[in-house]
Amino acid sequence: MSAGVANVRRVTERWSRDQVLSLAPDAASQKAAAGVSAPGKWSGSGALPDVVWGECKGSGATPYRACVDLSEPAYKCSCPSRKFPCKHALGLLLLWASGGVPDGGAPAGWVTEWLEQRRSRAERQDKRECEPAQGFRPSNGSAQRESRVTAGLSELERWLTDQIAHGIAGARQTGLADWDELGRRLVDAQAPGVAGAVSRLSRVLREEDWPGLLLEEYALIHLLAVAYRRADGLPAGLVETVRSRVGFPITREDVLASPWIRDDWDVVGARDEEQDRLVARRIWLQGRATGRAALVLSFAPIGQALDASLVTGTTVDADLAYYPGASPVRALVAERYGPATAGPPAGTKLSRVPGRIAEVLAGDPWADSWPVVLGDVIPSAESLVDESGNALPLHPSTGVPWRLLAVSGGRPVTVAAEWTPRGLRPLTVWDEEGQVVRL
Amino acid sequence: MNTPAVNVTWEDLVSTALVGTDRRSTSPGEVLDQAAVQAVRARAGRRTREGRPPAPAAEETRPLAARAAGDRLARMLGGEQARLLPEWLEAAAVIGVRVPAHLIPGLLDLGARDRSIRSHLGALTGARGRWLAELNPSWSYLLAEAADMPSGDLWEFGTSGDRRGYLAALRAAAPAQARELLEQGWDKETPEDRAAFVLLLSEDLGMDDEPFLEAALDDRRREVRQAAADLLTRLPESRLALRMAERAARFLVKDGGGLRADPPKACDSTMERDGVRPRPPAGTAQRGWWLQQVVARTPLAFWAGHLGLPPERAVQLKVGDWAREVAMGWTRAAILQHDARWARALFEVEPLTDLLAVLPPEEQSARAAELVVRHPVDGQMIMMLGGVARPWGPRLAKAVLKKIVETSGTQPWNAGELIRLAGERLDPAMHGHVQEIAELAVTLRFRYDMSKELS
Repeated sequence: MSAGVANVRRVTERWSRDQVLSLAPDAASQKAAAGVSAPGKWSGSGALPDVVWGECKGSGATPYRACVDLSEPAYKCSCPSRKFPCKHALGLLLLWASGGVPDGGAPAGWVTEWLEQRRSRAERQDKRECEPAQGFRPSNGSAQRESRVTAGLSELERWLTDQIAHGIAGARQTGLADWDELGRRLVDAQAPGVAGAVSRLSRVLREEDWPGLLLEEYALIHLLAVAYRRADGLPAGLVETVRSRVGFPITREDVLASPWIRDDWDVVGARDEEQDRLVARRIWLQGRATGRAALVLSFAPIGQALDASLVTGTTVDADLAYYPGASPVRALVAERYGPATAGPPAGTKLSRVPGRIAEVLAGDPWADSWPVVLGDVIPSAESLVDESGNALPLHPSTGVPWRLLAVSGGRPVTVAAEWTPRGLRPLTVWDEEGQVVRL
Repeated sequence: MNTPAVNVTWEDLVSTALVGTDRRSTSPGEVLDQAAVQAVRARAGRRTREGRPPAPAAEETRPLAARAAGDRLARMLGGEQARLLPEWLEAAAVIGVRVPAHLIPGLLDLGARDRSIRSHLGALTGARGRWLAELNPSWSYLLAEAADMPSGDLWEFGTSGDRRGYLAALRAAAPAQARELLEQGWDKETPEDRAAFVLLLSEDLGMDDEPFLEAALDDRRREVRQAAADLLTRLPESRLALRMAERAARFLVKDGGGLRADPPKACDSTMERDGVRPRPPAGTAQRGWWLQQVVARTPLAFWAGHLGLPPERAVQLKVGDWAREVAMGWTRAAILQHDARWARALFEVEPLTDLLAVLPPEEQSARAAELVVRHPVDGQMIMMLGGVARPWGPRLAKAVLKKIVETSGTQPWNAGELIRLAGERLDPAMHGHVQEIAELAVTLRFRYDMSKELS
């Protein structure tokens, strides 16, 4: 952010209501934000190209002061809420989105003060980040971890072999308890990635074709354990993939030490998923020039702050640093230079998706989600179809995508979706006016 | 990993895994190895299928609502000020716009649960809404609502909504022609359509329609017969009106300074044909029920001659045992026959909400204002106010605001109800003058902005 004032002049296009609501940590916050978005609640509000501020009348005598730096976005509010962004910041954005905040005006003292603080903090951070990152040196702790994981995974291999030897027909009765126990042992063995894969097994029992799906999952976990055991013979990128799937942590510093990739990144979609009392927010990006896909992942306890800095349908000029791997996709935003002109992202032809996915799986056979932006596709009740009649099925849990159907009306549209082995999950569609609609 | 045996199918692997390799001649490790290879191979090798996209929706004929208006609709569908949704729909219908496509499913879901908002949805959701309704059976009600489409083959080939719209328009332009068109294919119409079509004749109703309606009293479907009978009571010279007057003359006679009621002892088939329903609702005496219906279906003009009194005096007469039934009959008659003078007279005796609807809007508002000034707030007053159309006139507005301030300390629940109603009915331009009642100011401001976005 050291670029400061020089590039703050770029006008941030006003967001839609949907985009604002996508920043909320949960549904209750969305509702609360709508409640404080009435113009009558706000006074002294104003907007400059990259900042919105206002004072919201609360229950107390002093109004809450809320301010949003749109370039990031970053939020500030004087209320005591632990939710982030709080309902006041969101309410202010909703008001702004509906044209209820007057443009211009001199920001109040507290607004400029906060912006100044942010700027100087960003400069300090820049300095810190310029120091050389420490190289990776295995310590005693990590050697110990290595041997624990080895032991845990070979036990897992034996367990899986036992299952197949005795037959999996009884999994419906005994699976849940077995997997629970197995997952705990894998956590103790410091292999949380595999433990997570085991805990997700229970999902397949809901399906009619569960024996096939379960065998598929067992086989892929087996493949991971075997790959870890034989890591010495594998290419470096695949080793990284295996280690991250097993659950070896990688520090932020290590990720940021890899080369950065600068592009105008389209934020094409986001999906929140609840698991083990945590919400995982997956935000999918696609580079305009590089065409690369990226996933920015954040976690938070239910109801608490999630990454709200990437708004679906906007485009950011930024450096990304990818986590290492054979089909790298997870990334960190290393440096933001500001918003870029938004608009629907470039779509791929539907017929090229299978080839792309084959490449992804060739690098990382465990990959189970990948963003695709499809241009000129016509949604039907259960698939996306191109003009030549090629279709890709939707994920069964999607149901009939009525909003998507409504936006397309049987005509070609641009759709961003998450590929999964069981079908596409539509995330975002751009309507006839180029407006972004979250699904 | 071992080289996979090519001749093993995925199904073989699954069935082996199910029973266990202990019972087959392979090793479990081999099964897992092969399953891994096949699983990844299948995922990576999946091709596109053949698919058929739905046929495209027709072109839209209406312009899209302004973005701010669409955003507001999204907020309301999300639960904010949801009670004002009907007003949004009405205002949007007046200016002839359509709603943003991505909001149509939410709106149609709402219409599936709430019939009262359906009437505008046909036009507001445009071609896209109809296209979606063809795909989703729970939205098919939309096809029975009128959309704005040019005429032409509509009467012959349109959906029932289209045909109702067409007949309504024709009735407004050429009443006789509309009735004749209806008569031509009458026998082939469905019962639902017949009932809806009869109701459309209420526009510009005249004695020319009488023979057709009289014949409709013999229809197979009760709704059709009821609709025809309701319309005929509004024609004092109709045969039905004369038959009713003859009955009323027998059942109610002037007796000194009052009225004596002698309700019918049976509901004969001619009475039933004229729309009198033989079975009373639970808790109502049979004879009184029949009496009430006869009074309700008797042309109100009959009473001046029969009793020798204007309505203002007639409603004051002592009736004795059947007073309640007679009052209810007259009330129903005033509403059915849109008789403002009778409604006014009856309202003086008992301020019923339904009677207000018969009066012109300014008068509704003025009468309601009087009541509010004179009486304490109670459930009945709130019900009555609920029937007063918006926007409320200045007198009523002032009276209600005063009541809110008075009751907010002592009866917060009633004050809350009044604030809610006032928010929906006051002229939104007043939003700047009610700052002392914050909740009301917010609602009015919301409506004010809404009306600007939809103008």
